[in-house]
Amino acid sequence: MEAEVNKIAVTPMTSVPFGQRPWEEQPRKVRPSGSFKLPAILVLLFCTLIASILISVSLGAIHVPVSAIAAAAFAHHPLSETQRTILLAIRLPRVFASALVGAALAIAGLMFQGLFRNPMADPYIIGASGGAAVGACIGIVLFAQWSIFGFSAAALLAFLGSLATMAAVYFLARARKRTSGVTLLLAGFAVGTMLSNSTYLFEIFDSNPEAGHRVVAAWLHGVIAVPQWKQLAVSSILLALCAFSAYPLMRRLNTLALGDEYAHQLGIRVETTRILVILVGSLLTAIAVSLGGLIGFAGLIVPHVARLLLGPDHVRLLPVTALAGAIFLVIADTMARTLFAPTELPVGILMAFLGGPFFLYLLRRNKREYAL
Amino acid sequence: MTPILDLTNVGFRYAERSVFEGISLALQEGSCTALAGPNGVGKTTLLRVAAGTLPATSGRVLLQGQAPATMSLKQRSRLVALVPQQLDIPFDFTVEQIVEQGRSPYLGLLRGMMPEDRRAVDRALNLADVSGLRSRIFNELSGGERQRVKIALGLAQEPKLLLLDEPTQNLDIGRQVELIDLLHYLRDEGIIVLASIHDLHLIHHNFSFVHLMGSDRSLISGIPKDVLTPEQIASAFNCALGRRSLSMEATGVHSGRGFQ
Repeated sequence: MEAEVNKIAVTPMTSVPFGQRPWEEQPRKVRPSGSFKLPAILVLLFCTLIASILISVSLGAIHVPVSAIAAAAFAHHPLSETQRTILLAIRLPRVFASALVGAALAIAGLMFQGLFRNPMADPYIIGASGGAAVGACIGIVLFAQWSIFGFSAAALLAFLGSLATMAAVYFLARARKRTSGVTLLLAGFAVGTMLSNSTYLFEIFDSNPEAGHRVVAAWLHGVIAVPQWKQLAVSSILLALCAFSAYPLMRRLNTLALGDEYAHQLGIRVETTRILVILVGSLLTAIAVSLGGLIGFAGLIVPHVARLLLGPDHVRLLPVTALAGAIFLVIADTMARTLFAPTELPVGILMAFLGGPFFLYLLRRNKREYAL
Repeated sequence: MTPILDLTNVGFRYAERSVFEGISLALQEGSCTALAGPNGVGKTTLLRVAAGTLPATSGRVLLQGQAPATMSLKQRSRLVALVPQQLDIPFDFTVEQIVEQGRSPYLGLLRGMMPEDRRAVDRALNLADVSGLRSRIFNELSGGERQRVKIALGLAQEPKLLLLDEPTQNLDIGRQVELIDLLHYLRDEGIIVLASIHDLHLIHHNFSFVHLMGSDRSLISGIPKDVLTPEQIASAFNCALGRRSLSMEATGVHSGRGFQ
C-alpha cells in the first residue's frame, strides 16, 4: 500500500506547483471582491434613501423646497401652516408608506426567491394577491367607514386575507408532513386565481357601483394611500420585527440552495425553515398590501438586480434589498403622483411600465440562470 | 471498539418496491471501504440510509453505537457527510460560498462563520485541490471540477465518516489517481471513507475493503483480492464469463454492426 501511495503522489496537481502537496496550507488569497464593500454600499443606499425621501416630500401641487424643510428642521425658520399640514399630514406619511412597502416587498421577494430556488418568484407567488384582493374588496364595498388602529377596513382585511390565503395554500400543499416547492407553487396559483376572480362578485353586489368599482380597480393596480400615523407605526414595528427574524433565516436559505436533502444532511430543519420563511414572507407581503394594494414587479426586480450586482449570498442581500426596495418605491411613487398631475397614476402601473422592459432586458442578458 | 457505522440486516423499501434487504456491514476505524455493484442495486440508497437522511425500513442502523433517529441533527451532521452524485445549485454561488455551507452544523442561530470555520473551509478547499477555484461560479465549472468541489463541501463538514457516491465519475485518469491519493491521506487523518465506485481496478489496488452488492441481492464482503474474483464479479453484475475480450480491432467495427 505504501508503495502505491508513493507512486501516485508524484502526479502533478492542476492548481498546485509541482512537488507541493495539495493539502499543505497555501497562503490565503485576498477575500473575493465585494465582501469589504458591503458597509460602503449600505451607507450609500441609506444616504440615497434619505435624499429621495426629502426630494419626494418637496414635490407636489404645492412645492416646498428642500432648503425650506432643512431650515425648519435645523434653523428654527418655521414653515407656513399650509406647508406644515401638507408635509406632516399628507406627504410624509405617504412617502414613509412607500418606503415601507418597497422594503417589505423586496425582502419578501428575496425570501420567496430563495425558498423556491427560483429568481422568478415574487411575494405574491403563493396566492397572497388573491386573498388580499378579496379582503380589500370586502372592506371597500361593505365596511367603507370602519377603522381599527389607524387601519382602514380594506387595509386590515387585505392584511388578514393575504395571510389566510398563504396559510391555506401551505396546508393544501402539505402532504406526509412535508411540502414540495412545485406543489406550493401550483396550489398558490390555483387558489390565488380563484380568489382574484371572485372579486368580480363584489362589483355585482355593490350598492354604489361607480365609486366602489373605481376604488377597487385602483387598489388592484396598487395605489399607496395616505395612511394615518398610527397605521404607519404599527406597520414599521411589524416590518422591523420581520426584518430582524429574517436575518437568521437568510443563512439557511443559502444552505437550502444545495437542495432539501443536502440541507437536511447539514443539520438544517428543512420543513421548519420553510414554514418560518413562508410566515415571515407572508407577514411582509401583508404589510405591503395593506399600505399600497397590489404593486407588482417591485418584489421581483429589486432582489434580482441586487443579486446580479452582489452575488447570491442572502445574508448580504437582506439589508441591501430592503434599502434598495425602499428607494425604488419612493421614487416610483413620487413619479406616479407628479408625472401626470393632477391626475395620479397607480404606482403599480408605473412599476409595470418601468419594471417590465427592465426585467426583459435582464432576462435576455443573463439566460443561464433560469433553470427550474 | 464501536464501529463508526454498523448495519445489521438493514432493508429499505419505497411504498411498493423493495430496494434492498438484509444488508449487514460494519466499518472499522482507519478503513477505506468501497461499495461496488451493478446499476440500480441500491448503492446510493444504502449510502443515504447510512448517512441517516433516509430511515431504514427494516433492520438496525448504528452510527458510532447510536441510532440516527436518537441523535440531534447537528450531532449527526458533524459525524457523517454524504457527497452526492449530483448537486444542482440555483443562482451564481461561488465555490467558496458553496463549500462554506459545509460549516452549517457548527453554526448557531445568530453565530456566523468564526476563524476556525474559515480555516476548515480553506483546508477543505486545499485538500480537494480547488482553492484556485474559490471565486469561480459553481455552475460554470466543468464536471470534474464540480466533483472536486463537492468533495471539498463534504470535507468542510469535518466528518468522522465520509460517504462518497461515485466520486470518480467525471474525473479523468489523472484526477482519479489524485482522488485516490486524497482518500489515502484522509484515512491517515482518521477519517473513515465509504465510497461507491464503478471502476473495479481502482478498488482492487486502493481500498482496504470492498462490499459487492449483487443484482441477486447478495452481499459479498472482504478484501478486494478475495471479493473481486472473475466468478463473483460475473454473478454480481450478471454478465457472462469467458466472453470474447472487448477490443476495437478493425474487424469488429466494419463487419455489419458498426456505425450505420
